[in-house]
Amino acid sequence: MHALIQGIILGILTAGVYALMASGQTLIFGIMKVVNLAQGAMVIFAAYLSYQLFASFGLDPFLAIPITTVVMFALGVAVEWCFLRPLRREDKAELSLLVTFAVALLLEGVMTVVWSTSVRSINTSYANSSWTIAGYQITLVRLWAFLLSLVALGVLYFILQRTGFGRAVRASVQNPESARLLGVRSEAISALGFGLGSATAAAAGSVYGLLYPFNSGSHYDLISRLLSIVLLGGLGSIGGAVIGAVIVSLSSAIVAATISPVWSEMTFFVVLLLVLIIRPRGLFGVASRGAI
Amino acid sequence: MSKGNRLYRAAASLAVVAVVGAGLTACGSGSGGGSGSNGPLVIGASISLTGDFSDSGKAVERGYQLWANTVNAHGGILGRQVKLDIVDDASSPTQVVTNYQNLINKDHVDLTFGPFSTLLTVPAAQVAHRYGYAFLAPAGGGPQVFAQKLDNFFFVQPAPVVDAGEAFANFILGLPAAQRPRTAAYAELDDPFSAPVAENIRQRFEAAGIKTVYKQVYPSETADLSPVMAALAATKPDVIVGGTQSEDAYAQVKALVQLKYNPKFMFQANGANAPVDFPNNVGTSNTSGIIGSADWFPGSTASGSAAFTAAYIKAYGGNANQVDDNSAEAYSVGQLVQDVAQKTGKIDNATLISSLHSGRWPTLLGNLSWDDTGAPKGQYNLVQWQNGKLVPIYPASSAKAKPIVPKPNWGQ
Repeated sequence: MHALIQGIILGILTAGVYALMASGQTLIFGIMKVVNLAQGAMVIFAAYLSYQLFASFGLDPFLAIPITTVVMFALGVAVEWCFLRPLRREDKAELSLLVTFAVALLLEGVMTVVWSTSVRSINTSYANSSWTIAGYQITLVRLWAFLLSLVALGVLYFILQRTGFGRAVRASVQNPESARLLGVRSEAISALGFGLGSATAAAAGSVYGLLYPFNSGSHYDLISRLLSIVLLGGLGSIGGAVIGAVIVSLSSAIVAATISPVWSEMTFFVVLLLVLIIRPRGLFGVASRGAI
Repeated sequence: MSKGNRLYRAAASLAVVAVVGAGLTACGSGSGGGSGSNGPLVIGASISLTGDFSDSGKAVERGYQLWANTVNAHGGILGRQVKLDIVDDASSPTQVVTNYQNLINKDHVDLTFGPFSTLLTVPAAQVAHRYGYAFLAPAGGGPQVFAQKLDNFFFVQPAPVVDAGEAFANFILGLPAAQRPRTAAYAELDDPFSAPVAENIRQRFEAAGIKTVYKQVYPSETADLSPVMAALAATKPDVIVGGTQSEDAYAQVKALVQLKYNPKFMFQANGANAPVDFPNNVGTSNTSGIIGSADWFPGSTASGSAAFTAAYIKAYGGNANQVDDNSAEAYSVGQLVQDVAQKTGKIDNATLISSLHSGRWPTLLGNLSWDDTGAPKGQYNLVQWQNGKLVPIYPASSAKAKPIVPKPNWGQ
């Protein structure tokens, strides 16, 4: 029972980290109908940036988030401008899979050259700290990551719902032709949307580097998990990504703690399969546009 | 032309191609080597410079390179300069096969040195055997390698890797009864090197009455080991045995620190014996008391050890405590080639194979000898983290410090 409850605590807290990563992924799909296979590589890239800022300047990874967010936003805008914009509109959904996978490989290559393939961890004084409550351990970094994800998702919600940019994004998602006729610059919205989605990788990267050892190849395991989360939650739905992250994280943690880690990685694929059979659009996916 | 004639000509053409192909293959096999006896001695090796084993793979590369530079600075082997042909296998057992086939058949290297890990050595040694190449491997001593019974294979460490667990079992079972653990937990990576080490310990412990309270094998793609370690910690074992490589070794320690569970003894098959990467990833203050196995250690008096240490520090910086034993193992591979050449006056694969199967050969790792399957006949040392350094603690003949028992708490 102790292992089960500890597993549930770990699963819920870890879900925050995955929700951060997956929200960017699903945002990009919602705006551009692009499945960004580079999202995992962007998270690892952000983890390296945090690592470097900590190693070189002693900058705390949480305090480094504003800096890495700006860098990741710029990287996202550049990727959209260089690699996705030239794609023909009718081929974009299919070709973007190849293009973003190529971007992931490119990022992996850059990370390998700059930081080598040695496994790194961000070891702050509190990286392995935890609080004991009723005999259970609440890992500090996971708790902060969970709270951070709530804040980040709140900011994302505010941007989308309360700003002119957000209104333009929603208008483009709901009816791109009408939005264009009303003066919304869809190309700029796409670039900024991709940048915003990439920027969520910044906070996720800082947390990931604090929690897990990583190297340039770590993104392969991440991306399969992220895709499962966004498919489970429903492509394009940020709320769905959060719920998907909780289900995936919780189910695999409980299975690993109580049955076997061999089955834990497979558990969420089974859950995903069942959801897709019953509800092919995912839990919160909608048939029409305007899911964000 | 009749149909019969066309078939006959096609069959004859195929036969000619097959004969020519076989001839070309034969030219490139065995003691071949396109560089000739007066040119450089070209040695091919596939190493994991990227992927899961890249930490250890790069340490192996440093060892090979350091040996080649050292031997070249002293005039080479039998007057031939050593040239390394190193390719990356990305830690892939498929790529490693392609690499050795290319090194032998395309690059026509004179000799081959082994890759990192049992996973890659098993198929790589088969390729070398097929073409008559001696295969000296600094890593990859899991049971599967010796089960192949290849006469060209030599594992360049003091003992098969399962014996790394044997040394830990001997150490624990040799403790006074009051200090000996009563319960044990095993968390093992699904890997042909790591899991057998832990399993060997488990069998010895169970036979001696140490109860197994937890045992799980986790796949290499397990992103988060915290739930596994949480379940393990809930059983409150006296001793934790990690059948680990590197990334998972660090993750195990981090999870245990976060869970505030400190066992009386902790052993890791690999990872904890990395003098730089281990403290960098788990924090130096969390290393105290963790035990690993090693065949080389700073201050070793084995053949060439002092010169190796000095050359390593000169080439790569740091200090003696930061020298990775994977580099020492790789360097020892080169030492063996050098020794055979000096003793026989020849340097070819057949001579290497026949020579190494008899006698004892001095290396950084001590005097090595092998049985018919390439399994070395010596024993490992146990090393323990004490005051931020790895020090040999067992067996008594090579110990430089007393073991710290029980393990100090995390952060101390």
